[in-house]
Formats: sequence, C-alpha cells, structure tokens
Amino acid sequence: MDTLLNAEEREFAQQMRQFYRTEIPEELRFKVATGQELTKDDMVTSQRILNQHGYAVPNWPVEWGGQDWTPVQRHIWLEEMQLACVPQPLPFNVSMVGPVIATFGSQEIKERFLPATANIDIWWSQGFSEPNAGSDLASLKTTAVRDGDKYIVNGQKTWTTLGQYGDWIFNLVRTDSTVKKQAGISFLLIDMKSPGVTVRPIQLIDGGHEVNEVFFDNVEVPVENLVGEENKGWTYAKFLLGNERTGIARIGSSKVNLARAKAYAAVTKTARGTLLDDPLFSARLTRIEAELTALEMTQLRILSTQAAGSDKPDPRSSVLKLKGSQLQEDISELLVDVLGPQGLDFVSDRVQGEGLSDLPLGAVDALPAYFNTRKVTIYGGSSEVQRGIISKALLGL
Amino acid sequence: MDLELNDIQQELASTLSKYLRSEYDTAKREEILRSDEGISREHWQQFAEMGLVGLAVPENYGGAGMTFNEVAVVAEAFGRSLVLEPFLATAVLGANAIVLGGSEEQKQEILPGVCEGQTFLALAAFEPNSRYALESPETSATSAAGGSVTITGEKNSVLGGDVADHFIVTAVENGELGLFLVAADATGVTRAAHRQADGLGSASVKFDNAPAQRLGGGDAREVLAEVIDTGNAAIIAEAVGAMEASLTMTAEYLKTREQFGAPIGANQALQHRASDLYAELEYARSMALYSRLAVTSEAAGAEKDRHRDVIASKIVIDQSARNISQESIQMHGGIGMTMEYPIGHYAKRLTVMTRTFDDADSLTAELAEIGGLIEPQAADLN
Repeated sequence: MDTLLNAEEREFAQQMRQFYRTEIPEELRFKVATGQELTKDDMVTSQRILNQHGYAVPNWPVEWGGQDWTPVQRHIWLEEMQLACVPQPLPFNVSMVGPVIATFGSQEIKERFLPATANIDIWWSQGFSEPNAGSDLASLKTTAVRDGDKYIVNGQKTWTTLGQYGDWIFNLVRTDSTVKKQAGISFLLIDMKSPGVTVRPIQLIDGGHEVNEVFFDNVEVPVENLVGEENKGWTYAKFLLGNERTGIARIGSSKVNLARAKAYAAVTKTARGTLLDDPLFSARLTRIEAELTALEMTQLRILSTQAAGSDKPDPRSSVLKLKGSQLQEDISELLVDVLGPQGLDFVSDRVQGEGLSDLPLGAVDALPAYFNTRKVTIYGGSSEVQRGIISKALLGL
Repeated sequence: MDLELNDIQQELASTLSKYLRSEYDTAKREEILRSDEGISREHWQQFAEMGLVGLAVPENYGGAGMTFNEVAVVAEAFGRSLVLEPFLATAVLGANAIVLGGSEEQKQEILPGVCEGQTFLALAAFEPNSRYALESPETSATSAAGGSVTITGEKNSVLGGDVADHFIVTAVENGELGLFLVAADATGVTRAAHRQADGLGSASVKFDNAPAQRLGGGDAREVLAEVIDTGNAAIIAEAVGAMEASLTMTAEYLKTREQFGAPIGANQALQHRASDLYAELEYARSMALYSRLAVTSEAAGAEKDRHRDVIASKIVIDQSARNISQESIQMHGGIGMTMEYPIGHYAKRLTVMTRTFDDADSLTAELAEIGGLIEPQAADLN
C-alpha cells in the first residue's frame, strides 16, 4: 500500500508506525498480538496514551480534540494501529457517542461529556438493540416518558458489549408511540449507576463474557441528558451507524491474523512437508490473500474519492462491511485448521505446566476467536442488511 | 493518494464510449460477427486514426507515446462494447513484444504500419497439449551460416492469428528460449483460422522451416514475461468493462421483467444475489487498478512484484467474472441463453478471457509458490 501514498502520507504512516511501537506498552501490544483478553485497565491505559498525543479521537471536530486529517490519514492511523497490535480506542466512545454529541449536542452537553469521553474517564455502553429490535432497530420498545424535568425509562436493551464496565449508556428510547416508528425515537444518555438499572451478563459460545442485557426499571433521567431534539433520535442513530461502518472491514487486523496463520502453517508438519506447502491448504490461503488485497484496494478507492471532495457516506462502504466481515471469519477458520487437534481444546492458558509442552503462541485463542468472530457478519448491520443497502442504493432494485 | 483517472484519461474514456455507443452498437457488432473475417477493417482503421492502436507505442515509431494507463482505459471501453477486432493481439501483445524486444530496425519496419492500422500482429506462444506452458516450447529455431534463421513447430490458440501479418513466435535454440518474427505469408507457414467462443479470431499455425528473424537481442524470457503480464492486465481491464455492462443489463432486467405481477427484482433472493455480484464487481475494479499500477509502476524493485500482483489480480477477476457471467444468465432466465440477446455474449467473452494466458487454479498455485502477498509473521512483535 505504501507505494500508493504520496510523500506526506508516507511520512505520516512512518510517524504513526513509530509512535505506536514506542509509546504503547509492549505488554499491551503483545496481548493483542497473541489474542489474549484485554482487561478494562489495559484498554483505558492504551486510550489515555493515545489521547495525550491527540490520537484517540481524530475523527472528532478539532475543537474537541480531533485532528484536521484527510480520510486517507484517518485510514493510515487505524491501519497502522491494527498492524502494530495496539488496543483500539473504545468504539462506543470514539466512533459512536462522541461524534453524535459533537454534531448534535448542545454546548453544555458537549462540555460535560466530550473531554471525559475522549479520555475514557467515562466508559460508554451502547443501548440500541432490544430482544425484538435487531436488524429492525426502529421497532424498539424501551420507553422514556416525560415527567417534569425528568424522563422515566422502562425497558430492556441487549447485546450491550462490555456493558459490565459501563459508566454511562447512550440509549435509543421511544418518546412518542403515536407516530411512525422512526419518528418517535430519542437519544438519551443514562448514568448506569442510576437506581433501576441492572446489567446481566450473557455467556457467549466462545466462552467469554463480552455482551450483556441491560434492564431499565423506572429509571429517572434528567431531561438535560437528552442529546439534540426529542424524537430526532433516529437521525442521530443513522449518523452513528454510518460512522460505525467506516473502518469496520478491519483490514489491518485481518493482515495480522493471516500473517500469523501463515507463519504457523510454515512450521506445521504434514505427511508431505509443511502445511504451507499443502496444495489444498495453500490454495485456500492464497485466495484469501488475493481477496484481502482486493478488499484493501476497494477501501483505498473509496478513500481516494472521499479525499477528492465528497464527505458524504458512500454506500460502497456496505461492500467493505459485507466482504471484510466474511474475510475475518474465513481467516479465523484458517487458523483453527492450521492448529488441528491442538486448536480444539477450550483452554485459557498456553502454559500447561508439569513438564508438558506449552501451546504455540496464539493457539489458545484460535477456536474461541473463531466462534467470537461469527459476530462480525451480524453486528454493525448484518450481511443481509448490507446486501439490502447495496441492492437499493447501488443497483436501484 | 489519487487513484482516479486523470483528465486526459477521462477524456479518452468519454470520447471512446461516445464513439462506441454510436458506431459499435449491438446490431453493428452482430453484423461484424457474421461477416467472413469476423472483424471490421473499417472500424480498425478508425481506431488507428483515433490513435488507439499505437497508444503505448513511442511517438518516433508512429505511436501516441502514452502508457498502459491509457491502454487500460481503451480495453475497459472495448470490454463494455465487446469489440471483436484484435486490439489485445495487435496493440497490446504484438506491439509490446516489438517495443520491448525488437531491434531498432525491426521497430522502424513494423510499428508504423501497426499504428496506422495496416498491420496485424499475433503472439504465437502456446502449443498443443501443453496448456498454458510458455517457457519450454517444442518449436525450434535453427540458425544457418550467414545469419538466417528458420522456425519449425506448431502453435495453437494464437489470438488474432487468423488475420495476423506477422507472428511473434516463441522457439528454442540451443536450449535457450527466443522470440522470432515470422511473416504470415512466408514459405513454410500454414495456418488454420478459428473463431473462439467469444467471436474473436485465433489460429493454429504450423511452421515448417519458415524463415524468421530473431527479435532484437535482449532476454526473451523477460520480454515474454512482461508482454504476458501486460496482456493479462489488459484482459483484466477489458473484463471489468464486460462485467460492468453485464451487471447493468442484469439489474435493468430485474427491474423490468415482471412475473407473478411484480418485477422479479422485488424478490429478496434475487436482490441479495445481485448485491453479491455488485461486491464482486467492486473487487474486480479494485484489482484492475492494482494490476494497472503493477505494470506501470516505476518504483524501484517494481518489476519483481509486477508478475505477482498481476496474477493475484487475475485470481480475483476470475472469480468475479465467473459469478457475474453465470448469474447474469441465470437471472435473465431463458432469454439469457439466446444468441439474439446480448447478455450471453458477455458471458462468452468473460469465460474466454479468464482462460486466456492461464486460469485461476494455475495462477493460485503459482502465487502460493512464490510466497503469496503477505509475509508470514508469528504472533510476536516486530
């Protein structure tokens, strides 16, 4: 990719590469590289270092800590971060609630929340999906009923990622049930320590605790926690989801994971040599490499037209989400198949002790990661939702 | 970073597509396809006058002195209109072989006629029962005292060989691969003209002690490799044009064809499949760009990566072309099977293109063998 960049962009990439490798503790990057679970403290530490240097929220307005970068620079920032295995800033803060507040919030709400959000003094959770509002998000039922200077919130949110760490939650709530479903939604910020908020863990098939259900039982929320205007929440949500799709292809991480599978395959013995020389395995791997290159070039093509002027969300980013998520899943499966029987145990530590061999680095997370990665074709607008967008916006069907 | 076409290229694309829309529509193409020769020399003459045939030939040999970037623009436009004339054979493969490998005298002798649209060229490299192998042909070259050379052997799948005035032939002399120029009307040259499934002309050619000239004096392997890489990059650009036209036509059909009282495109089963094709087309566009950059890059060490990047592109293009051509027919239903409706013609062209100069399976094996695109990196930090 470097050869496509102009001189300044290349210098910028070099600068980011250098920064990530010198300023972010190696211990944190090692955890990411080897697929170990990050603690809350790990993520906070990493984001605060980024924030000190102005690299946590480059996509925000400059006055709130953002950078006056081109889309290409933003891409480099993220790509190099992934290649250096740096824990990414919390998306709920950085790409979701932050931009919504910065774009639609009052001056008061900006001052109150934005600096703390950038520095992760507040850990945000996302309160969008509900048990009966998944892809059809606008049919959400959690209500916020105005009562003087507060709202009374009742209902349930689900799939709240890392909600166990959450200080605050940004919620889509129904404030008017008499109008078209999209027209009665508001964007409300709720302190998760408020009485009536309950977080309950959901165990996932990868063995981890990543998501939660959040219940609201007569939770009192001051009206000044409303972002923007009442009943305009759907507009803000669409804005947020559009931002979420950018960078969701996770090309840098896919490169790291693919390079890792390839390195293991090269030292894995088979009856006829190494796994990397096995014709069927290498064909599968090579096709994935070629596809990943196609995905990266597609991302760069989209970026290059954005750099040329248009800052509107490009419906082609649905192609990035559709293809990028599928590739992430394919790559996670590749690693499982490289490890063979060693990859089939659900273990949490590679050190087995008592004279037994340690598992290869990265072997511990292969199968959990495979199961965890099933989520990527579901979240952020499922593959089916993306196909719907492509069909409508790009093919006119 | 600027990956868009520059102003000159955009101008070229729009002028050419305007011309093709009015002078090379489906009816016109059909007429050319049914003609004896299967090409229109009149159109070829016009292409030459527009400077398209000698686009990448240096100006001192009668060309326009441009680069493959512009050639790719033409190839894509030709793909959209399924142009039958031997652009790839003459303007890309043939002209390139002479520009890269020919002696000064050979360039002076042949290239001006090519650029003027008077001379057709064809690369004769494939041989019976050896599939896509290029490196060790059975065809042999023999030098006699006094510097004369003769060629003996049989070539097949010679693209544009049906109308070629000169063949550029691969042959082995003293164990070394060489490129040789043979006039089509020379003694000892017998050709059987064929039509490919896509309507383009090809030929099987037998050389029996045919008089030849060695092409220049450079490394024939390197010249051949660059000619084929550039040829593949042109095929990729042309395929993108053909895929784009196929998908546009198919989307239009989904909107207008009604069954059960509604356009068939109202069915989610078809919408989602069409969306997958759109994503494939974006991949194809991206890899057309990737291969174009690979063959035009002047960066240090670019040559080493050129072949790798072109074959990686073709692997992706093959998949896109296969899906788009097959699904376009399926979504059209019975009408897609007919000669009178254009969609099948696109499918035929795409099917042939992805099998010209290697297919995806062999390319995948080759890419794996040269180490692929991503360096292995274990899960530790560099």
